[in-house]
Amino acid sequence: MRFRGRCWKFGDYIPTDQIVPSHLVYRPMTEIVRHVLVNVNPEFPERVQPGDIVVAGKHFGQSSGRAIAAKAIQATGVACVVAESFARTFYRNAFEIGLAILECPGISEAVREGDILDVELETGWVRNESTGRVLRGKPTPPFLLEMLRAGGLIPFAPRLLGEGGKA
Amino acid sequence: MTLVEKILARASGRTRVEPGEVVVADVDLILLHDLSGYLTARVFEEKVRLPLRYPERVVMVFDHHFSPPTEEGARLLEENRAFARRYGIRLFDCGHGNLHNVAVWAGLVRPGMVVVGSDSHTPVHGALGCFAAALGNDAHAALGFPYGKAWFRVPHTVRIELEGTSGPGVTPRDVALWLAATIGEGGAIYKALEFDGPYLRQLGFWDRWLFPLITVDVGAKCGYIEPDEVTETFLRSVLQEPYEVVRGDPDREYEAVWRYEVSGLDPQVACPPTVGNVKPVKEVAGVPIQWAELGGHGGCRIEDIRLAARILAGRRKHPHVKLNIVPSSRAVFTQALREGLVEILHEAGATWFPPSAGSNQAINMGAMAAGETMVSTHSRNFPGRNGSPQAKMYLASALTVAASAVAGCIADPREFL
Repeated sequence: MRFRGRCWKFGDYIPTDQIVPSHLVYRPMTEIVRHVLVNVNPEFPERVQPGDIVVAGKHFGQSSGRAIAAKAIQATGVACVVAESFARTFYRNAFEIGLAILECPGISEAVREGDILDVELETGWVRNESTGRVLRGKPTPPFLLEMLRAGGLIPFAPRLLGEGGKA
Repeated sequence: MTLVEKILARASGRTRVEPGEVVVADVDLILLHDLSGYLTARVFEEKVRLPLRYPERVVMVFDHHFSPPTEEGARLLEENRAFARRYGIRLFDCGHGNLHNVAVWAGLVRPGMVVVGSDSHTPVHGALGCFAAALGNDAHAALGFPYGKAWFRVPHTVRIELEGTSGPGVTPRDVALWLAATIGEGGAIYKALEFDGPYLRQLGFWDRWLFPLITVDVGAKCGYIEPDEVTETFLRSVLQEPYEVVRGDPDREYEAVWRYEVSGLDPQVACPPTVGNVKPVKEVAGVPIQWAELGGHGGCRIEDIRLAARILAGRRKHPHVKLNIVPSSRAVFTQALREGLVEILHEAGATWFPPSAGSNQAINMGAMAAGETMVSTHSRNFPGRNGSPQAKMYLASALTVAASAVAGCIADPREFL
């Protein structure tokens, strides 16, 4: 799975509380989507375009494990999130809801806001087209790729269980 | 195999599993609170639309609300109640306490279980010798509710040995805060953490509880303590039915063994903006506070109330400080009543709140305006979690919270003992 898009850059340790403020999590997604990451970068929810790529630092999506954080990023049309590392709850939620993400140590210092990135999940390659720099992220495990291609865990569940509980 | 590998092997119908393998396991218990329960129910009913297979394995506890302050909150709880009735799920309504404490006191968690939940502190049940992990709403909706299952990648196990003796005024929570920061946020990604060592073994059950609690902060999949006599004595106090204890094999293999010496530690405070920003109390002493709270998933156990009473007996809170006491369960409140602690804290100027998750996420209480500051026994201090992103949350032991409430600013509890 390959994604090419313009990058929005965020720092380290962004909690889910800042991806979707707590008091909004029960509101309709049409309302939530207007506040995604707003306290970190007020321009983001206003100006993000479908196909854009979010680049973040360490342990992205820590704090509460609510899937709504990943769903809200997905709802903005962001194609892919690339981070130094992810909180495990966010990492799992992303694949389960069908949001493409890639762990890529070194990404923070290799991109600037607005750079055009070319990301491939299978191999983990990230190419910064604006600078020509290439990084090797962590290749995505085949099991998670399969879930992602299926569109998330809900559509993937029958296949997962159909194989006798062996994935 | 380690305890976690043995539990996952049994739950997935295998004789053994290896770290890194993906397994589909039977789930024994799904724990949901009023917030995660609502979101999970919506995904299940809107997108999955299958019968809920094992309602007896699903438990919902209303803990972020004890009495909804808005119509929106009231409606959310009503929808949850209807969902619980529709599928025959056991519900603990407002006022029972916070999710994890309620489940343990009700005897629902037993050693060797696979326990899952959306709350990110679900791994705390490793304190009873379970494999306990936090999964998202879609995991429960897609596999947990309709099939009683969940998928896992078997984690590598790291053994953590805590050695030494803590000094006066330094509580197990200080050690746990320090340990989280020392391992680092994201410092143990996807590991299973086996907590052990002489320091840990001499602690009581509820003090041990604070260690699996931090696994989410360091990015681990789960944390656990191999059951011993302390665990079993506690279990017998809440459980009538027989249970089977699972322990790791004597020849179990770890990816690593990390040793920590706790002697000589000062009381610790996790400062905003993250749980890994932990400093000795002397480096933050003097920061003015307006709020102090005993509460949270790891907070306001009877141990915390006793610690606070040691400082507050015969003293008054500072006039500018609001001191909230939010028992983690009704059992804890009963015990506090019996020991006379309710009166001691009340006379010191504290306000008692209903058993609940307290100010966690500021759903029913605990919102702060820009510029306000709280010190608490909660588990989270991220900006925006308690009202304004410009408000500040410091996390500390019950002793430090009580001392700070008296001083009107963050204070070293050793000056009050």
